[in-house]
Amino acid sequence: MRVAVLLKQVPDTTAKIGVSGSRVDESAITKWSISPYDEYALESAIALKESGADELVAITFGPQRASKCLTEAAAVGADRLIHIVTDADFMDSCTVQSILSSAIERSECDIVLCGKQAADTNSGSTGPGVASLLGYSCVGSVTEVSMDGGKLSATRLGATGLERIEVSGPCVFTFDKGEVELRRPNVRGIMMAKKKPIESIGIEDLGIEIGSPRASLKSHSSPPEKPPGQRFEGAGSIEIVVGKLRDEANVI
Amino acid sequence: MAYEALDFYDIDSLLTDEERMIRDVVRDWVEERILPNIEDACREGVFPDEWRAEIGEMGILGAPLKGYGCPGLSYTAYGLICQELERGDSGVRSFASVQGSLAMYPIWDFGSEEQKEKYLPGMASGELVGCFGLTEPDYGSNPGDMLTKAEDKGDYFLLNGAKMWITNGTIADLAVVWAKLDGVIRGFIVEKEDEGFTAPEMKGKHSLKASITSELVFQDCKIPKDRILPDVRGLRGPFSCLNNARFGISWGAVGAAQSCFNSAKEYALSRIQFGHPIASFQLVQNKLSWMLREITKGQLLAYHLGKKKDDGTWIPEQISLAKMNNVDMALEIARMSRDIHGANGILDEYPVMRHMANLESVKTYEGTHDIHNLILGRHITGIQSFTREP
Repeated sequence: MRVAVLLKQVPDTTAKIGVSGSRVDESAITKWSISPYDEYALESAIALKESGADELVAITFGPQRASKCLTEAAAVGADRLIHIVTDADFMDSCTVQSILSSAIERSECDIVLCGKQAADTNSGSTGPGVASLLGYSCVGSVTEVSMDGGKLSATRLGATGLERIEVSGPCVFTFDKGEVELRRPNVRGIMMAKKKPIESIGIEDLGIEIGSPRASLKSHSSPPEKPPGQRFEGAGSIEIVVGKLRDEANVI
Repeated sequence: MAYEALDFYDIDSLLTDEERMIRDVVRDWVEERILPNIEDACREGVFPDEWRAEIGEMGILGAPLKGYGCPGLSYTAYGLICQELERGDSGVRSFASVQGSLAMYPIWDFGSEEQKEKYLPGMASGELVGCFGLTEPDYGSNPGDMLTKAEDKGDYFLLNGAKMWITNGTIADLAVVWAKLDGVIRGFIVEKEDEGFTAPEMKGKHSLKASITSELVFQDCKIPKDRILPDVRGLRGPFSCLNNARFGISWGAVGAAQSCFNSAKEYALSRIQFGHPIASFQLVQNKLSWMLREITKGQLLAYHLGKKKDDGTWIPEQISLAKMNNVDMALEIARMSRDIHGANGILDEYPVMRHMANLESVKTYEGTHDIHNLILGRHITGIQSFTREP
């Protein structure tokens, strides 16, 4: 059983986001990290490896800087690192899915773990899309996956409570935030990771044809600005404030 | 908001990827584990045992040492680790400095093969805690006149004397103790169960409150013959340990200063007086600019010294200068930062008063500020001024 974990590099959730024109200015972002839901996928992937999976392959698709995700994954236990390098600014979800599924196929992984959505785009399409292209089953929003012999089972929060789902055969699991504590790399892991080669490949190496995108970005605008706050001073304004809280904000 | 460490001259670009990763692991750990809990630890006067375990798990103890389960990192990486730990608290950095530079290092450099194999792997993983006994109640800057003595009793050594101001003493599994054997300073490894050895904790500190400080008392303490460090005699032994620890302090002080600077900057930008943020007033800007200037110089000193440690071209006087300068500047910055915070600066809501109180100890331990001046004075003039004797 070979496990692939898909990692996307996104601006760290605590990083300052600057806007240039009407777009986020990527060059001003000082800290990039593995997308938080992907971190849960990675943690679970390591646990699968510890319970007997043959190999853990970490795959990222993104610009040169994204290779840092792979080194971080290696530092906590990923065996093989694949970086599909791109400088493309925007790619539709279908294209991304076909690139990733082709890399998964090439590395012969039958179990795929990824976050349920990325922290930047929040589209939530990668996991199900990859599963559909590969013909794998897909279990969404899981918090834990375990392996017993050839059988895999996952826990997910369903409509009526926690569900335990058993899966046989190749499967994609998308991860939600779980109770599990993420492990932190240690120095030994970091030193080993440094020696681990990253297979850096281009889209053309995957032997797939990127046709014209089926979806394209038509327009882009900033969300409407919030109206400014109102300020009241002095004890005399208490009545006005109470009135506004009651009649306008409907909170009292 | 993510912590953005002051790095005005882009030292970050001089680091290797691996050094940056190690720094970030320690930085994140400090952020998650130290900063939310440090005030409680200080109030209770404890160094929580889980911190020991987690520092061990990170694999950063004895950072620059190679082999025997030690990480084998560059001195720059070791410095970065100290910087991040001390950005949290000087007491936390002290734990790591004492374990790595003062307890592991002498065993690694001067110990027998058996001693290295017996102690170093457990110390590197944090399972065994070490301490370092040099200073005595009456001999601080002048350790050469120490009274603690060892006698060769044929089958064993008998140790008598007392050490003081020993970081990690009470929680230590072993102590590297310097004592005179036939008038010559030698290193001995004392284990906590050894007969005649006790390590009572010193209470009532206003500084380094989250660090354990102890006395080591040897009353006819019997230790086996194979616990002497075979490969060193005289003050060279303890002094070579101190060189490494002082190097770490020169980086650590930068971390404490960065913490105080950030707090001062944020406070000055948000505190409104006379209708404007106090950061808009020239006197406050002058202070912030002085802090930026001093931290930047301190960073460059520490970084360059790390390179010299790595390529072996350093001299001890360069370490004296960096330790003395960086602790001095960090202490001044802590005081200035407290000043910018006004009355709020004395509250434990802000880290500055804690850093300030800690740095008073750091200024004194590992060679006082004045002793480092004398070391440099001797280097410049060729004339020693430590003692009255010619």
